Amino acid sequence: MPSRILLPLVIVLALAAPFLTANTYFHHLMVLWMLFSLLALSLNVIIGYIGELSFGHAAFFGIGAYTAALIGMNFGLAGIPGLVLAAIVAGLFGFVIGYVSLRIVGPQFAILTLGFGSIIYTITNYWVDLTRGPMGISNIQPLGLWGEGGPALTGARGYYYLTLFLVIAFAYACHALLNSRTGRAFIATRENAPLAASLGIDVFRIKLLGFVVATAVAGVAGGVYAHYLTVITPDVMSLQYVAALIIMVIVGGRGTIAGPIIGALIYVALLEALRALGPLRLVIFAALLTASVIFLPGGIVSLWRRITGEDTRPREAAE
Amino acid sequence: MDYIVLAQQIANGLVNGMTYVLIATGLTLVFSVLHIINFAHGEFYMLGAFFTYFAAKLLGVDYISAAVIATLAVAALGVLANRLFFWPLRKEHEFTILLSSLGLALLLTNGGELLFGADPKYVDSPFADSIVQAGQLVVTQQRVLIFVVGAVILLALNLFIRHSRMGKMMRATAQNPEGAALTGVNIRQVYTVTFVLACGLAALAGALVGPTAMIFPTVGSWAVLKGFIVVILGGLGSIPGALIGGLSLGVIEALAGGYISLGFAQAIGYAIIIIVLLWRPQGLFGIARRT
Repeated sequence: MPSRILLPLVIVLALAAPFLTANTYFHHLMVLWMLFSLLALSLNVIIGYIGELSFGHAAFFGIGAYTAALIGMNFGLAGIPGLVLAAIVAGLFGFVIGYVSLRIVGPQFAILTLGFGSIIYTITNYWVDLTRGPMGISNIQPLGLWGEGGPALTGARGYYYLTLFLVIAFAYACHALLNSRTGRAFIATRENAPLAASLGIDVFRIKLLGFVVATAVAGVAGGVYAHYLTVITPDVMSLQYVAALIIMVIVGGRGTIAGPIIGALIYVALLEALRALGPLRLVIFAALLTASVIFLPGGIVSLWRRITGEDTRPREAAE
Repeated sequence: MDYIVLAQQIANGLVNGMTYVLIATGLTLVFSVLHIINFAHGEFYMLGAFFTYFAAKLLGVDYISAAVIATLAVAALGVLANRLFFWPLRKEHEFTILLSSLGLALLLTNGGELLFGADPKYVDSPFADSIVQAGQLVVTQQRVLIFVVGAVILLALNLFIRHSRMGKMMRATAQNPEGAALTGVNIRQVYTVTFVLACGLAALAGALVGPTAMIFPTVGSWAVLKGFIVVILGGLGSIPGALIGGLSLGVIEALAGGYISLGFAQAIGYAIIIIVLLWRPQGLFGIARRT
């Protein structure tokens, strides 16, 4: 079982990584990687465990970001209360939208979430009184413990450790979930919903539960993102980010825990490596994505299985 | 209440709605026949508009010929897109195909930005500045053209699918691909024809709308979004649904923009769709897979 040695090694490496270099830009990229990992892991709950494709996930990220920013600005509660509220608000939106959309499945669900995502994006763009419209919100204060005063997180290194902690905590939660009764209900629902229902699983409730958890975590990621970058615009909810998140999950490997984290790394690293190419960058990126989807449908994680012969894929549907 | 203004809003809404219908028909056709959700569909709309622009500029032909050339060229590109991105994946999971089309969409948008430049362009049309007057209603000729061409094309498409041999083969494939293949339907040909029709329809919409609005390489994501909204409203895979859904979305948006708030017109359009979906989750004319 190599993962018994591998996992602590990876965690130690991740903890030591910021001290390998004093380059703050490198630290910035590490924070982005962790933020996207958290988002991709949350989307993975929907894509990998429930087995539905959501095109509205960036909207919940945006809701979290705007909630945290507005709470910080209007009530001076930038910090843990802001993040908790970001999770609650994003989760509430997730509950309402999930309640409506999860009644249908497959492609219809994907498009319906895309529609909801666009509504939230449009409203954010036009509700200038609340969100300042396309200008976005700037000068968001750094993340403190409890509002202003007291210790506040500054610098990329601090945010890196915060996001790393969140990623490890959520990854562990996903792992624990998959080995629990509820987790098995998730997998049963994904594999064969009618059969799962016949075993007494409330399919709709299980799906809704997964959807709400995923959106609430996306809200937390949004809150941290807003405090870290200090600027947010409605663009964080645009189709570009939706596509990016889905790319991370699928290219990394859906239904696994390592997959979305690797996918996020590839996304951040590849865009950085191709930065010198200017506008050609996204063309190459799109070509790589398409090629990886066509030639490696199981994601990068499936390469590991091909090399070692170990079954890392948790009971995938044989379509 | 001012009835002239109301009638004018409805007329404008119907014209906008017809462009939505043209976009959505291709989407819904590809879904109903091949069970593919094509995220790159909007990019063919974008290409249609840009090809019209460049055909008129570089070849020096008039607007009508440029639009026809652009439509045919994009329809030919549809063959290529099918051979490279869709046909090889026909046996894969539906997520894989969806992502492949998302990759194609990103490729075309960013490639378009690279080739055409990111600055907005206007397509010149002799019909854009002259008007048609009916009573007190005023509509530009271009908008009349959009509506008439849209209606004629949809009628022709309907006849083609109902009565031609290929149309029957497409309907058979939609019902059961394996069964159709067993009775001698050439599935490969059905794929090709479906994509040619869908991409051609999207390009035609782009070529028609080009003179009434600015065009830019990222317009494809707007188009595909509108297409999807219409398709959800009407029901995925239903052509009458696309027609009713598109026209109603156009009219709803025009009325909301005219009487409530221009900025929120789109959001109000979406909100009405959600109300419809609460009542019928599968769309007005759709048949949903339910759990």
